[in-house]
This record gives sequence, C-alpha cells and structure tokens, in this order.
Amino acid sequence: MKSKKEKMLSTLLWIVFLVIAWEVGACIVAVTKRSPENILPHLYQIIAAACSTKQVSAGMSATMVVLTSARATILRALVGFAVGASIGFLLALIMKLSGFFEKMLFPYLMLIQLIPVLGLAPIILSITGDINKSRIVIAAILSFYPVATNTLAGFHSVEKEKYDLMYIYAAPKWMIYLKVLIPSSIPYFFTGMKIAAPMAITASILVDTLQGDGGMGCMLSQSLKHAMSIYVFWLIVIFSAFIGIFSSYLMNWIEKLVSPAKRVG
Amino acid sequence: MAQKRKRPKSLYHRAKDNQQFQAAMTVVLPVFLGMVILVLWQTQTLHQIFHTDTFTLPLIDRIGTIFIENRAKIWENVKATMTVALIGLVLGSLLGYLIAILAAFFPKMGTGGLSVIGAFASIPVVALAPVMNNWTKGVSSDANTRSMVAKILVVMLIAAANMGLNAYRGLTELKPYALDLMAVYAAKRRTVFQKLQLPNSVPYIFVALKVSVPASIMTTIVSEYFAEYIIGVGRQIRENIVLAQYSTAWAYIATACLLGIVSYVILMVLQKILLRNYH
Repeated sequence: MKSKKEKMLSTLLWIVFLVIAWEVGACIVAVTKRSPENILPHLYQIIAAACSTKQVSAGMSATMVVLTSARATILRALVGFAVGASIGFLLALIMKLSGFFEKMLFPYLMLIQLIPVLGLAPIILSITGDINKSRIVIAAILSFYPVATNTLAGFHSVEKEKYDLMYIYAAPKWMIYLKVLIPSSIPYFFTGMKIAAPMAITASILVDTLQGDGGMGCMLSQSLKHAMSIYVFWLIVIFSAFIGIFSSYLMNWIEKLVSPAKRVG
Repeated sequence: MAQKRKRPKSLYHRAKDNQQFQAAMTVVLPVFLGMVILVLWQTQTLHQIFHTDTFTLPLIDRIGTIFIENRAKIWENVKATMTVALIGLVLGSLLGYLIAILAAFFPKMGTGGLSVIGAFASIPVVALAPVMNNWTKGVSSDANTRSMVAKILVVMLIAAANMGLNAYRGLTELKPYALDLMAVYAAKRRTVFQKLQLPNSVPYIFVALKVSVPASIMTTIVSEYFAEYIIGVGRQIRENIVLAQYSTAWAYIATACLLGIVSYVILMVLQKILLRNYH
C-alpha cells in the first residue's frame, strides 16, 4: 500500500515538474516569438479559453466546440472499437477451435501489424464513400488485431494440467472452453484492449481530418488554419491526449470489475 | 483374450498425426489464401463485394505497372520516410533506454517518471504532430529540414516511451537471487549494472523494438500528413487521393506495406544474430 502511495507521489511530482517546464518554456516563447499563442501558450491562457463564454464559431464557446466534436469522434471510435474487439475475440476463438484456420490466418494476423493501417485511411474513405463508415472500419481494423493476437496467446497459455483435469472430469469440449479457456484468456484479452483503445481514438481523429464533418480532427485542422481561435487547437490537443490516456485506464478499471481474481490483489 | 481390432485410420487422422504434413500446411494454407485473394482481386469479384470500381480499387497488374513506372519518385519518398523513421527510432530508443537506466538507479523518482512517459505513449499522434510543427518553425529556414525535425521529434517520443517502459522491466525484473549473489560477491553498483542488469535487459530491448519498428513507420506516415513540406510515402498516398490518382496512391500503399514488412524482417534477422547466446 505504501509503495503505491509513493508511486502516486512521484507521478504527481513529475506532473508538477512538467507543468513548470511548460510554463518556463511559455515565458521564453512569449518574449522571443511574435505569436506565442501559436507555439506555446501559458497554461492559464488555455484554461481561461476553456472557461470563457466568448463565441468562437456558430454561437458556441470554445469548450462547447471541443465537447460536441469530441462526442462525435469518441462515439464513432467506440463503435469501431467494439466491433473490432469482438471480431478479434471471435477470430481468436475460431483459430483456437480449428487448426486449419489458425494455420491459414496466423501469418496474416502478423502481417497486418506491420502494415501502416492509418496510411490506408484515405483509400478506405474513398472505397466506403462515407466518412462515418470509414471511421468505424479503420478503428475496427486497428483494434481487432491486438485483441486477436493477445487473446490467442491467452488460449495457448493454458497449462496441460488443466486439460488433464478436465479430461478426468470427462468434461465436454464446450465446457472446457467455457470453464477453462475463456476465463484464462480474459487477462490477455484486456491487454489487447488496452493497446487497442488509444489506437481506435487516434484512428477516429485522423479520419476526421480528412473530411469536414464536425469531429475533433476536423476542428483541429480548422483552428490550425486560423478559421477559429487557436486556443481551440490547444484545447483539442490536451483533450485528445487526456482521452488517449484515460481510455487505457478505463480498460484497467473494467478489467478489475469483470475479473474477480484481480479484484482481491 | 479378444484381439483388439485395429480400425484403419481415416485420411483425416493420418494427416493430423503426420508432422511433416502439418509443417507443410503452415506454409501451404496461407499461400493458398493469398492466391485466392489475389485471384478475387484481379477478377473483380472483390470489387463486387465492396461495391467499388476498378478506379478506386485498381487491378493488381495496373498497380504493378504504375509502381515500376514511378520507381524513381517512389524511391525518393521512401528515402525521406525511412530517414525520419530510422533517426527517430534510434534517437528515441537511446533516450528511452537512458530514462530506463535513470529510473532503475533512482527507483523512487523513476517509477513515477515512467508512468508519465507511459501516458505519453497513449497520446494520439494526430495531436502531437501539429504541436511539433509549431515548435520547430524557427529551427531552419528550409521547409524540408524544418518539417523533418518535427516528424523526427514525434517518432522519437513514441519510440522513447516504448523503449523506456520495456527496458526498465529488463533492468529490474532479474532472476531470483541474482541480486543476492551479487551482494555476496560484494559487487560494486557499477559491476551489478554491467554484469547483471545490462545483459538481462537485452531481450527486452528487442521486445520494445518489435513494437516500435512498425509503430515508428506508422507514426512517420501519419505525421507526414501534417507536415509542412510535401514529401514521404504517407503524404504521397494522401496527395494522390486528393488528385484522384488512385492507382498511384495504391502503389504508395503497397510501398508502405513493403516498408513495414521489410524492416520487421531485418529486425528479426538482427535479433537472431545478436541473441544467439541467449538461447
């Protein structure tokens, strides 16, 4: 318990250190550069922009712009993530059930990790023709393979003794899956999800920048082009960083919720 | 005593027990699937499934021809992308390793620092790239150098986060009693590091690289989208799609996939050579 507290403390110390470094940088930039708010604004300026009620676009304040666009982005990322994660889990299950499919698909599962899928974003957009659909497709592709590979590793991690025990119990095949294989693959499944969640969000934001449709990425490129206050840009940067980090923690939390074995420790 | 009658094995069971047959199947089946996909693609069955046309999803021979015709230009962009990815990867990994060493020596401060760095790893590249672009505005008057530095910085950050977390595990997750043995030897802190921690972390370096090599290429491609200067495989994919030159864009996509696969194979070969003594 104490070490956990210590870790928290040192993390906090680092965050304070980073904030100080940011402010020092901002002070230097403020003196030396012509338009400091483009390069490194003071943190209080960003917070002030978040709290101000001044309208930046279409009768919405900066925070409202960010939140409405974030809702669109996150919802689509979530759909893609859910689809991708379930496909990944099912695929791993099928590959475990049948050696034929495992042999056929496993090299491709490895291969798809090496392909820069985000680079395919523009082409998927032109194939599906619909920005919403392509966002979901890309988020799904990006989140399916970490989940699939990790879950498969989880299925393979089951010790021989457990199979032997199940054999002694004369357990039918579906029982072995239900009671042994699937429970023991759950921690691996969550490892995959933890990798996949920030990726799905990145994918969703990136697809936003390709076409104007009110997502976070769209607002990001608009404010970069000075179509609206530059502080919107900074708010989005900070907010998306926050979501990326938060999504990972969220997965941790859900894992603790669903796996009782972890809850004790 | 009744002789147990031996039933003749079915073909399926004989195949299942034959090691050689199984080994051959691990090669034959994926190749077979690849062929099926290629045939479906070339015969436009794939186009019907996805409701698309040969304009957005060109046939393979067309992509191949374009690839060969533009090989000089593609090579130029490959060089730009790979320079960024490689420099970013090397600098980032070194930085990450250094952070891991510091964290291993000063665990009280280090663990917190590592969790902050781990948080950096989950920041979307899309948010990092424009920030870096803004920061490097004053680095050089040449747009090419300027955006190159910005791209390298983004890749560096991702690679450093990855290496830092893994190398720290390599430096601290030692074999049980190894530290006790060192204490019995009255080994100096430096000796412990050189003889125990450093060799122990080498496999972990490769674990980190296995993730960060494909990741650094992906990051480079994404940050090219936001870069000021128009160069690189990723940027060409986007530019060509904007110009509706889909076959050229597909040639660049093929290049990007090749880059990912080739660099991974190189890494695997390196690992085989360098980790010979570990297995």
